[in-house]
Amino acid sequence: MKIEGTFTMKAPIQKVWDFLMAPGTLASCIPGAEKMEAVDDTTWEGIVKQRVGPIGVKINFTQTLSEVQPPKHLKAVGRGAAMGGAGTFTQETIVDLKEIAGGEVEVAYSSNVSMVGRLATFGERIMRAKVNKVGTEFTQNLQKKLESQVGG
Amino acid sequence: MIHDFEYFAPKTLKEALALLDKYQDDCKVICGGQSLLVLMRQGLVAPPYMIDIKGISELSYIKDEKDGLKIGAITTHRAIEKSAVIKKKYPLLAKMETRLASIQTRNWGTIGGNVCHGDPAGDPAAVFIALGATFTMTGSKGKRSMPAEDFSLDYFETALEPGELLTEISVPPVPPKTGSAYYKFNVIESDLATASVAATVTLGAGDVCKDIRLALGASAPIPLRPKKAEAILKGKKITDALLKQAGEAAVKEAEPISDIYASEEYRRELIKVLVPRMTREAMDKAKKA
Amino acid sequence: MKKELKFKVNGQPYDIFVKPKTLLSEVLRDELGLTGTKRGCNSSSCGACTVMLNGMSVKSCSVLAIQANGAEVVTVEGLAKGNKLSPLQRAFLDHGSYQCGFCTPGMLMSSTALLTENPKPTKEEIREGIDGNICRCTGYNSIIRAVTAVVKGEYKEAK
Repeated sequence: MKIEGTFTMKAPIQKVWDFLMAPGTLASCIPGAEKMEAVDDTTWEGIVKQRVGPIGVKINFTQTLSEVQPPKHLKAVGRGAAMGGAGTFTQETIVDLKEIAGGEVEVAYSSNVSMVGRLATFGERIMRAKVNKVGTEFTQNLQKKLESQVGG
Repeated sequence: MIHDFEYFAPKTLKEALALLDKYQDDCKVICGGQSLLVLMRQGLVAPPYMIDIKGISELSYIKDEKDGLKIGAITTHRAIEKSAVIKKKYPLLAKMETRLASIQTRNWGTIGGNVCHGDPAGDPAAVFIALGATFTMTGSKGKRSMPAEDFSLDYFETALEPGELLTEISVPPVPPKTGSAYYKFNVIESDLATASVAATVTLGAGDVCKDIRLALGASAPIPLRPKKAEAILKGKKITDALLKQAGEAAVKEAEPISDIYASEEYRRELIKVLVPRMTREAMDKAKKA
Repeated sequence: MKKELKFKVNGQPYDIFVKPKTLLSEVLRDELGLTGTKRGCNSSSCGACTVMLNGMSVKSCSVLAIQANGAEVVTVEGLAKGNKLSPLQRAFLDHGSYQCGFCTPGMLMSSTALLTENPKPTKEEIREGIDGNICRCTGYNSIIRAVTAVVKGEYKEAK
């Protein structure tokens, strides 16, 4: 499920961009992310833990920045496999920045999380709503982080 | 592949509670296993300790008492479906059971297990909310009770604390001039609900709606009581126009999701149609009661 | 650690040791060699694994074997009396109520359970009686015709 939205911040566009590109910013917004470590300038690895009712998943997650067009557009693609082979998760996030009047920046985001494997087939009923929630939480975390660390 | 586990089959509630206290988060309770085994077979749930409560006969009963119907948590769905006293005095429960899964599942699965699994699409939860039921849970420290609508907290999460077992579900006696209805929309006969609506209406003087309880299944993270929709109807003489408003209000309160069974829009449409329809059916039954 | 499982299957007593995680379908097929009970889906959906447990039809893939301790189980192998097929079995043969035969044991068990509980079901009740069993081949009508024929008394219990 795709979650899309926009919000505005009072900050120079370059500052917002630099923060987004800083190691670990995006990765740290992933709900349940622990121990995210940079592998190189554009790739992070770590563990994501999530739980719904009786089902708990521990995912080995890797997020890579692709489509980097400073200071306006970036795309991050994440992929993770649940330990025990119960399923695979993919996440795609796109962030577009636009300068608007009054020294403000409009941040447009879209986040898409999906799941395949046994968790998707047999755990669909249980995990589906959670997967959607994770997408929403990610964008909320991103907004909070940007607002508190960069702008007004 | 089911993972290995240590297995205990306590014969009394006291024994079971002692085991739950001992193993806490490391154990899972199994009874009929009709929901749990589906997950365990796929390796999605793998507790190291299993407490099988199917043998605790003191928790299996259907009692018709002055202050209402009392059902032991490990009573099977089939026993409820076939109970003479339930068919006579609380027929909506028996009807709900005939729509639940299939006969094989109802023969072994239990009402308590179903409710504790916490699936918002489960049939019993919505019906118990519409009937004003109370759930009682017991731990080694004692008992506590709560209205059915407070039992579900989130998808597959209930108010049961570690160390507690759901032990009894009680349904209050049906007041005069009261009718109840339940409709479950699904694609295949024995499937879970795509969306479901349960309604209980009590009429007062002049056929005014004295009390109303609505419950939506498979429409939110929990079986939802759409209180704004109820407020539109309570204390008024129910008309088609009011029912339409109530249906639209219920749609706004619901939070359905899209999945392989139906889209969010389709579920909203189902709620919009079923809330007025079930309320009217309950009201018509109340008039005859 | 294995647990003792003492139960009767088709009238025969068994005393074996099983890992608690073992499903009833696994014990019947893999331990006791009674392969009439089929593994159709292993996801509690198809009913091909249906057996009778203390007179009730259950999906044996969805019951822990250990829960059958002290119980009486009847599988499709237990429907006939020696060489003499049950009325339902004979009706199924005569009405062609099977093609690939994979759902058939489950269908026979569910129908047997239905008629044991309700010897004179209506057509609607027959359909309800088998609604926990999926058939890929027949379209169900030949199965319903066979059960109806038994209900009508066209097949008597063999002596």
